[in-house]
Amino acid sequence: MKYAFPLFSVLALAPLVLPGFHVTLLTEILIFALFAMSLDVQVGYARMFSFGHAAPYGVGAYVAAFALSSGNLPLPGAVLVAVIAVFILAIPIGWLCTRASGVAFAMLTLAFAQLAHAVIFKWNGLTGGSDGISGLLRNHGPWGFAGLESRQGYYWFTLAIVVGSAFLASKFVRSPMGTAIVAVRENEKRAVAIGYEPRRLRLAAFVISNTWAGLAGALHAGFLLFVSPELLHWTLSGYVIVAVVLGGAGTLIGPMIGATLMVVGGHQLSAVADSWPLFMGLLFIVVVVAAPNGLWGIKSSIANAIAVRKAGRLEVDHVAS
Amino acid sequence: MGSSQVWLNLTLNTLALASLLAMLTIGLTLIFGIMRIMNFAHGALYMLGAYSGIAAAQLLGNFWIGLLAAPLAAAAFGSIFEYTLLRRLYRRDGGSFLLVTFGLSLVLTEAIRLIFGPNTRDVDLPSVLSGVVWFGDEPYPAYRIFLIALGIVVLASLAFVFLRTRLGLLIRAIAQNAEMTHALGIDVQLIRSLTFAVGCAFAGLGGYLAVPLITGYIGMGGAAIIDAFVIVMIGGMGSFFGSAAGSLLVALTQTFGNYYLPDFALVATYLLMICVLLCRPGGLFGEQE
Amino acid sequence: MSVTRRSLLTNAAMISAGAVLPSLANPAKAQANAIRIGVPTGITGNWAALGQQIQRACRLYAKTINAKGGIDGHSVEFVYEDTQGDPAACMRKTTDLIERGGINLITGIISSPESLAVMPRLNDWNALYLATISGAGSLTAANFVPNVFRTCTSGPMRAKTIADWIADSSKKRFFSIAQDYAWGKSSVATFEKLITDLKKEPVGQVLSPLGTKDYSSYIARIRETNPEVLYIAMAGDDATAFLKQAAQYRLADRMQLVTEVLDIVNIKPLADASVGLYGVSQYNFAYDAPGNAEFVRLFKAEYNEIPDTFEGEQWQALEFLAEAIRRAKSTDTAAVRGALEGMEIDSVKGRVKMRACDHQAEQQVFVAQVGKTEGVPYPVPKIIKAYPAEAVVPGCRKDSY
Repeated sequence: MKYAFPLFSVLALAPLVLPGFHVTLLTEILIFALFAMSLDVQVGYARMFSFGHAAPYGVGAYVAAFALSSGNLPLPGAVLVAVIAVFILAIPIGWLCTRASGVAFAMLTLAFAQLAHAVIFKWNGLTGGSDGISGLLRNHGPWGFAGLESRQGYYWFTLAIVVGSAFLASKFVRSPMGTAIVAVRENEKRAVAIGYEPRRLRLAAFVISNTWAGLAGALHAGFLLFVSPELLHWTLSGYVIVAVVLGGAGTLIGPMIGATLMVVGGHQLSAVADSWPLFMGLLFIVVVVAAPNGLWGIKSSIANAIAVRKAGRLEVDHVAS
Repeated sequence: MGSSQVWLNLTLNTLALASLLAMLTIGLTLIFGIMRIMNFAHGALYMLGAYSGIAAAQLLGNFWIGLLAAPLAAAAFGSIFEYTLLRRLYRRDGGSFLLVTFGLSLVLTEAIRLIFGPNTRDVDLPSVLSGVVWFGDEPYPAYRIFLIALGIVVLASLAFVFLRTRLGLLIRAIAQNAEMTHALGIDVQLIRSLTFAVGCAFAGLGGYLAVPLITGYIGMGGAAIIDAFVIVMIGGMGSFFGSAAGSLLVALTQTFGNYYLPDFALVATYLLMICVLLCRPGGLFGEQE
Repeated sequence: MSVTRRSLLTNAAMISAGAVLPSLANPAKAQANAIRIGVPTGITGNWAALGQQIQRACRLYAKTINAKGGIDGHSVEFVYEDTQGDPAACMRKTTDLIERGGINLITGIISSPESLAVMPRLNDWNALYLATISGAGSLTAANFVPNVFRTCTSGPMRAKTIADWIADSSKKRFFSIAQDYAWGKSSVATFEKLITDLKKEPVGQVLSPLGTKDYSSYIARIRETNPEVLYIAMAGDDATAFLKQAAQYRLADRMQLVTEVLDIVNIKPLADASVGLYGVSQYNFAYDAPGNAEFVRLFKAEYNEIPDTFEGEQWQALEFLAEAIRRAKSTDTAAVRGALEGMEIDSVKGRVKMRACDHQAEQQVFVAQVGKTEGVPYPVPKIIKAYPAEAVVPGCRKDSY
């Protein structure tokens, strides 16, 4: 993507010129964007609407929190442990959930997420129950990651991971496996006839998507230095789907834009209006009506329209539909 | 309280809760069956029913008025929403519906807070409903008996409409194959709108009927929507009888579970759904996908 | 006040517009010498009812004190932010208030997880937080940090008050029902230990998940066990729903109901069904103290209602804060903290002392019974006994007895 490098440069230089709070806000945006992007791998490319995506996010955050507090691991180590834990958990759960498809799949993911929420909520001794775990530290560890302790250091750490993930994800969706997943989405029968195994491909999409969500969750724990059961609440699963659809599913970048808008929009709207959820809701409705393919879809619609005009054709409607 | 009284008590509680849950979920499943959309705003419409019922009942000093006002308000609001927005989206995918109904539920919940304020609201029951019925020396709330009776009447009449009238036939036909029904010269759009309005009306009625148990509060919609989805899935998406059976099953699990195994009550319903969906992904009464 | 918030955040709007650089500008200061206090609370969402109490108390306080010329000539401004009760949002809003708004005084956070999320950061921020709702015992015990002061009563103090009150009663058999989360569980544990020490018998216990709608199964269990007293540790909408359903089953005819949280907001929807209920009143509008009479008069004039629990608790916190700023002659964090430690004021609950060792305010706690009173159209809690601070405040940095 031709904008990737300039965008990355701007983001990388941002902490040098921005005041502290904005760096914090940007870090939060990046983490939520990674979370939304991870869901897009399932929703956009495999059309598997997960309604329990808060589960891998929250579990990743809790595992990272344990690794930081009880395990006393350095921060990158804690993140790694969290990712591995979520990966391992995602396989059996994905195996069960992918037995179903469509709405039943969505509800199975919801059910497992609610179970995870209940376990973390009730298991006081380990998880701190509803009060969560507070006062985490970004441990240096033996190799010295002291730079991560600062706000800017953590921002760059997050930025590197998010940009790396986005790069990998865009490679993945164009890889043979990624295109096979899309082929199953488009026409399962034909894909089977060619020799693909839809269930296995869906499971792969599920596990990859969940693992990335676990990574985002671990970054969240390191960012806030606090975890609580709210991280696994179904409302967060709802919000991340909304971010994906708002930005435009199946584009990777769209959901990241959607996530940005939700964090920034929510924060800024609530600052100027008490009734900000009302305006957020209206915004969602307007986007659905005006931009069928989400916010990123607007760009391709415009690009299409320009291309059509350049080509000198008049049947704009035909192409747009 | 003897063990037979405990059982009687729990059985009645199950039926009363099932009745409330059925009101909430029938609308959702009807709308799914005929329009193939998951209406995320169903919880907000439930809340709208509760608040408008309370407002009407307080204004006229009569509980029964609310039973009329709640479904009417929810149906009216739902119809406007369907007419102005949903209609444009029928050709879109599930994501669009999710986003637009999610947006609507945010708008509606916040609008209700603005109009009625954040404090809990309640309605006065007439003396016939606020009393108790005695089983031996155990008092049982008359209101729960009323809920059971109303639930039976409503479900029986709906079953009649569904199985024995032309409208019911058309609804089932559209649920099975909308294009074919349209080809037969039926005004599919009209029936869709009608079903949507009726579905919203039941959500509103369910919300108002819940008020004497849980009061009306900000957040009641969000608390209800997940339960509703779970029940609809257990019963089978789009299946009227499925959602009635699902309501009964979930009510049974919660009532007896809370009594005998209170620590597991939180997860029992979800375990039930996982078992059902893994064995029958379409739900108990639904078609296999 | 909302004007302040707007000007404070105009800069932020630029980042959303993509114009990153202009936000370098310093946040506009609405009034150079104003004392600004940040209130990250629940404005929308499930906590809106409690958040409204917090905001009403703050608005009235600003209006009243500014009419008298402010604190030592400095006017007081509150900056409200909506957290919806979410710890992550609370963290972001508080960061915003402190780092961008230049505010170092925070109050009005509602839930304990929100408080626990923010507290470890206060030292780096060099900011103070006055807790006015969060009742978790650990705030002034295991999770104590020097920049937090709890001016309200804590959960363990309420449980201890009820246990002391019950010690005088002849009743023996007790059943507890609590919400299944940190506060409910710790309250029940404290309560059961205390009554066991009194040689009374806990005969049963139920923990209800947050957001439970149908309490009939729990009520059946309580009826079957047939205790003499039912101890209730529930708050918010769940408490209202439980009390309402308990009344429908005529539970109060068979046993004494005692609730740890007796707030008007929870019993008002019950109307006459709440009459006779016993419980802890953290703040009571009818308490006879000069400061309280003045507060209730101002409150009635402004809102045409009597103040509820957290309106009184928030008011008490603001009186502490104002007095500390006067004594410190500045709003500097260390100076105000120093002034607060060991400070005594005459508040809406009488004489209250902020003890230095763990920053828990030592204050009396009331046991009340719901009844009708003149001039209020709905039943309200009426004080039947006051327990002095010495009896109910736990040892220093402790949340048990």
